[in-house]
Amino acid sequence: MNIQLIVFLPLLAAAIAGLGNRAIGNTAAKAITTGALFVSCALSWPVFLGFLSGGLQEQVVTVLPWLRSGDLVVDWSLRVDTLTAVMLIVVTTVSSLVHLYSWGYMAEDDSQPRFFAYLSLFTFAMLMLVTADNLIQMFFGWEGVGLASYLLIGFWYQKPSANAAAIKAFVVNRVGDFGFSLGIFGTFLIFGTVSIPEILAAAPGMTGSTIGFLGTRFDTMTVLCLLLFVGAMGKSAQLGLHTWLPDAMEGPTPVSALIHAATMVTAGVFMVCRLSPMFETSDTALTVVTFVGAATALFAATVGTVQNDIKRVIAYSTCSQLGYMFFAAGVGAYGAAMFHLFTHAFFKALLFLGAGSVIHAMHHEQDMRFYGGLRKSIPLTYWAMMAGTLAITGVGVIGVFGFAGFYSKDAIIEGAFAAGTTAGGIAFFVGVFAALLTSFYSWRLVFLTFFGKPRWAASEHIQHALHGDHHDHPSDEDAGHDPHGHEAPAHAIKEGTGGHHPHESPWPMLVPLIVLTIGAIFAGFVFHGPFLEPGEGTAFWAGSIAFDEHLMHAIHEVPLWVKLSPAAVMILGFLIAFAAYIRDTSIPDRFVGQFGVLYKFLLNKWYFDELYNLLFVRPAFWFGRLFWKKGDEATIDRFGPNGVAAVAVAGNRLFTRLQSGYLYSYAFVMLIGLAAATTWVMAR
Amino acid sequence: MGYSLVLTLPEIILSASAIALLMVAAFAGDKAARLSTWLAVLAFIGAALVVPGVTGPGGIAFNGLFVADSFAAFAKILIYVAAAIAMLSAMSWFARDGVYRTEYPVLILLSSVGMGMMASAGDLITLYVGLELQSLAAYVLASFQRKDSRSAEAGLKYFVLGALASGILLYGVSLLYGFSGSTSFEGIAAAIATDGISTGELFGIVFVLAGLAFKVSAVPFHMWTPDVYEGAPTPVTAFFASAPKVAAMALLTRVTIEALGAATFEWRQIVIFMALASTILGGVAAIGQQNIKRLLAYSSINNVGFALIGLAAGTPEGVASVLFYMTVYVVMTLGTFFVVLRMRDEAGQPVETIVSLSGLSRTRPALAAAMAMFMFSIAGIPPLMGFWPKFYVFEAAVAANLTWLAAVGIATSVIGAFYYLRIIKVMYFDDPAPAFEARRDLVSSAVILAAALFVSPLGWFALEPLGTASLNAAGALF
Amino acid sequence: MIGLGHYLVVSAILFVLGVLGIFLNRKNIIVILMAIELILLAVNINLVAFSAYLGDMVGQVFAMFVLTVAAGEAAIGLAILVIYFRGRGTIAVDDVNQMKG
Repeated sequence: MNIQLIVFLPLLAAAIAGLGNRAIGNTAAKAITTGALFVSCALSWPVFLGFLSGGLQEQVVTVLPWLRSGDLVVDWSLRVDTLTAVMLIVVTTVSSLVHLYSWGYMAEDDSQPRFFAYLSLFTFAMLMLVTADNLIQMFFGWEGVGLASYLLIGFWYQKPSANAAAIKAFVVNRVGDFGFSLGIFGTFLIFGTVSIPEILAAAPGMTGSTIGFLGTRFDTMTVLCLLLFVGAMGKSAQLGLHTWLPDAMEGPTPVSALIHAATMVTAGVFMVCRLSPMFETSDTALTVVTFVGAATALFAATVGTVQNDIKRVIAYSTCSQLGYMFFAAGVGAYGAAMFHLFTHAFFKALLFLGAGSVIHAMHHEQDMRFYGGLRKSIPLTYWAMMAGTLAITGVGVIGVFGFAGFYSKDAIIEGAFAAGTTAGGIAFFVGVFAALLTSFYSWRLVFLTFFGKPRWAASEHIQHALHGDHHDHPSDEDAGHDPHGHEAPAHAIKEGTGGHHPHESPWPMLVPLIVLTIGAIFAGFVFHGPFLEPGEGTAFWAGSIAFDEHLMHAIHEVPLWVKLSPAAVMILGFLIAFAAYIRDTSIPDRFVGQFGVLYKFLLNKWYFDELYNLLFVRPAFWFGRLFWKKGDEATIDRFGPNGVAAVAVAGNRLFTRLQSGYLYSYAFVMLIGLAAATTWVMAR
Repeated sequence: MGYSLVLTLPEIILSASAIALLMVAAFAGDKAARLSTWLAVLAFIGAALVVPGVTGPGGIAFNGLFVADSFAAFAKILIYVAAAIAMLSAMSWFARDGVYRTEYPVLILLSSVGMGMMASAGDLITLYVGLELQSLAAYVLASFQRKDSRSAEAGLKYFVLGALASGILLYGVSLLYGFSGSTSFEGIAAAIATDGISTGELFGIVFVLAGLAFKVSAVPFHMWTPDVYEGAPTPVTAFFASAPKVAAMALLTRVTIEALGAATFEWRQIVIFMALASTILGGVAAIGQQNIKRLLAYSSINNVGFALIGLAAGTPEGVASVLFYMTVYVVMTLGTFFVVLRMRDEAGQPVETIVSLSGLSRTRPALAAAMAMFMFSIAGIPPLMGFWPKFYVFEAAVAANLTWLAAVGIATSVIGAFYYLRIIKVMYFDDPAPAFEARRDLVSSAVILAAALFVSPLGWFALEPLGTASLNAAGALF
Repeated sequence: MIGLGHYLVVSAILFVLGVLGIFLNRKNIIVILMAIELILLAVNINLVAFSAYLGDMVGQVFAMFVLTVAAGEAAIGLAILVIYFRGRGTIAVDDVNQMKG
């Protein structure tokens, strides 16, 4: 196993591309990073297949001793087991495809080496996270991906909105990370170690113990699990700490595909699964996980139905799907959670990259209201997006074949029902309703983008692009006052194309789409056995997660209506979308007219941002200004540096005046000094 | 009697040389100026070499008037070396602006005899005569450039205020003598120890301290310093800033420790006040200065303040830190002044403004680097040598339960750092001013190089021997 | 009977007069030189008086030293004054402030 190569090749590539930057040029930087990622990916698949076939056992490779401080002993070591292997292929596959895709998508950018260096750096940090053998190393990877995410969201740092989004992502993640670090501290306090295997081995013994804080006794494991889960909530954008994810779409689309869909945002799910034996010791914590996950699934799906920005729709969809994964983990179906993570990585990356392809074709217009009828212009993208939509909505026939999401999502919904708990029951109904919404907004996206008549003419981006094209020709520039020069042909306006002819994206962008399409179609069918099935699953996971065989058995025993409900709502959602966006396009407007309040509520994302502004941001600014103006400027600066400087300047003026140049005043000063000294000594 | 003459051999060598060179000056005139300067250097070397030989625990000459202990030896060697180097800077300087006269080395030699006597004074009479011998020569030196009205004014101011200070000192001396019944330091110490301090003695102590404070230019008896430093010819200023400071500090130390050791409580408060006032005023008043010599005058006030902190400790370690401080200070000051002496415009006219240093790093990189090192060092920034004397001074203060004094001292050294760093900023970051004239001067280059090497971390090799020597010297007073 | 105290008072008065002469006089530098002589005179009265009172010769020897040095000091002071007058053409105290600040 070449786990060191897999992990450190991206770092090496990032260092070369990042430090070499302009010195080595665009092509070299792109080739080195992409090449490294493909090698890393090629090395990862044999690892995964080895675990799949049972040929490989879990192992830990120590790289370096890291910290030795009293009881705290941390080694820098790479842990490889089934869970890691799954994450390895998800991360390296999507990352290498995104690298390749970026050749096309970022072709016109000025700072490509920086972009590719960030991408590779992110991949390294993510690999550190998933190979962590102890909580400290996991935290290192956790913060590393946070950093890379920050850098990539703010990649177009000239845009104020991108900077704001990057800062928002960083700050919101701080809240989660604070919980995570408290969880790590607490874990070390209780268990005396940060080694994950040791913690998991000792966790069951701690069930029922309590810890005192502020005079109250709390259940130890509940406290620890909830603190760690706060970290997971931040990273995985769960309800409450989700606000950064939609804004993170300010980053380039490949980044959204890699970081904010397939890999980093799933780190929370990964962490809960990695620590699943620990979470199993606290029913309270699991219930909280279930409720938070279900609430997120519902919330994000509702908001996703009314968004107009294509990337934001997919972002809320991601948020919603992460909610599914969490409530799967919450009801104990860790295998289903991981399986959904796995399939979701493929179809969500596909949807993002497809959206990127659309955006690319439409001159960076992201508003779906200015799309329409793109089916014929960019057929390959269309078919790829179709596959992604079929996968996310979970199309399939029980027992025969289904797209990726069919297996994983149905397993989660059925698992929630089969868990038999109140929380599970609620999660089941929420999950089904969210599946309806998922189907609706996914098809809405497809219909608005690819069907109907072109509505491109009204788009400022496209106008601007056409206008700009015009100026590329010097001869036209000279004749710039020709009134017809800037106007689109009349027939073009009538058709709504605005004279724009979308082109299919270049091959570097299409190849990843094709590969991911294959994944979106077959990933569920091929791998559902080892991931989910009772016997096979136990052998596959080999104890790397708390795989619950009974629950997986129970999934097969659920009533038929439970099995059929996801498919039913999926079809219902499709029909609603079809009716509203193909048959009679006036329905959405009428709906908005009738339920304006609801529409506004959803469009404004349940007013979370406004609420947080009111509760946290403004008070924080107020405090900040208070400390800045009153504390820093009016107190510290005034009496500190500025005060001392002012006193020094005043003193300088005084002393210079005393040094008048006249003999008698010099003599006078001396005698004053003499008299003062004499008086002082006498008086004592 | 014969033994006494042996103990005063360094002074005899210097005095005899001075008289002989005066004869040379009288008969050969200014032609022999350079020759007599080098002869004077030889005399200094001879005297400095003799000093360790005549030093001993029982080195008391003329019934206690003159003491040749290790403290005096340390101070004398430092004084002689500093005076010789400062004297060397004068040759080419005066030759360029007119005539270098043979009286110059004679005056330096006579002044140095006085300084040696100050360091060796064991009696109020020796103290007074040494002090006056040093001062009278210095008054003449300050107004040495007779045609320059600024030089004459410097001499006049120095003379009037110096005479006033001498008068105050002498009045104090007469009171001390009258109320303690003795002029020898031992006798005074014994009188105070047995009878306690009378009011008359208290008056005397204050007046004597005031007179000595004038010589070390401690606030508030510093008023002459900026004007005299600015007006006097630059080589003379270099001399004033180095050797006489050491002598006066040595004398002040000897009087306070040896004669007034029993009255430590009384004089310590005055010394502490002077120390703080000097560091603060030296730092603050220097901020707005435009003239480099005036700035260095305030710098010397500032540095004396720090040395006084060591004296305020009143312990052997404190006295050792004073000697150590003065040693490093003399090296840094001489180095700085040798750089200042190089400041002449294309026409060969001396320039003294700080602005004219602008962009020196581009026109004269080596000179700028040396100057930057001296400035960083005087500011007390490690790893340069200038850090250590401050460190030892504060350490001594802390060990003597004067932690607050050390703390305030550290705070005031920050103010001082401002204007030292300003010079570096001017040299390195401002647009170049017209370049200085390029002129080979081996002596000056050698001195600057040696001083720069000493203040560089290489100087750490000198830490151990200097520390041992200064502790040994300080031990002689207790 | 004139005792030690009387001498000390006279000496103190002379000393104060000398000091005042230095910084109250704004006219002539020669006056300052005279004031300095006054101070030294006060010191000498002190020394001799103490010497007589203590029955100790050192005070009188010291007075001799002071006289000698005072002579030298006066000579040098006048010489500097002459140089100064040559350069500036004035010996008014108020004019001696070319350097300040």
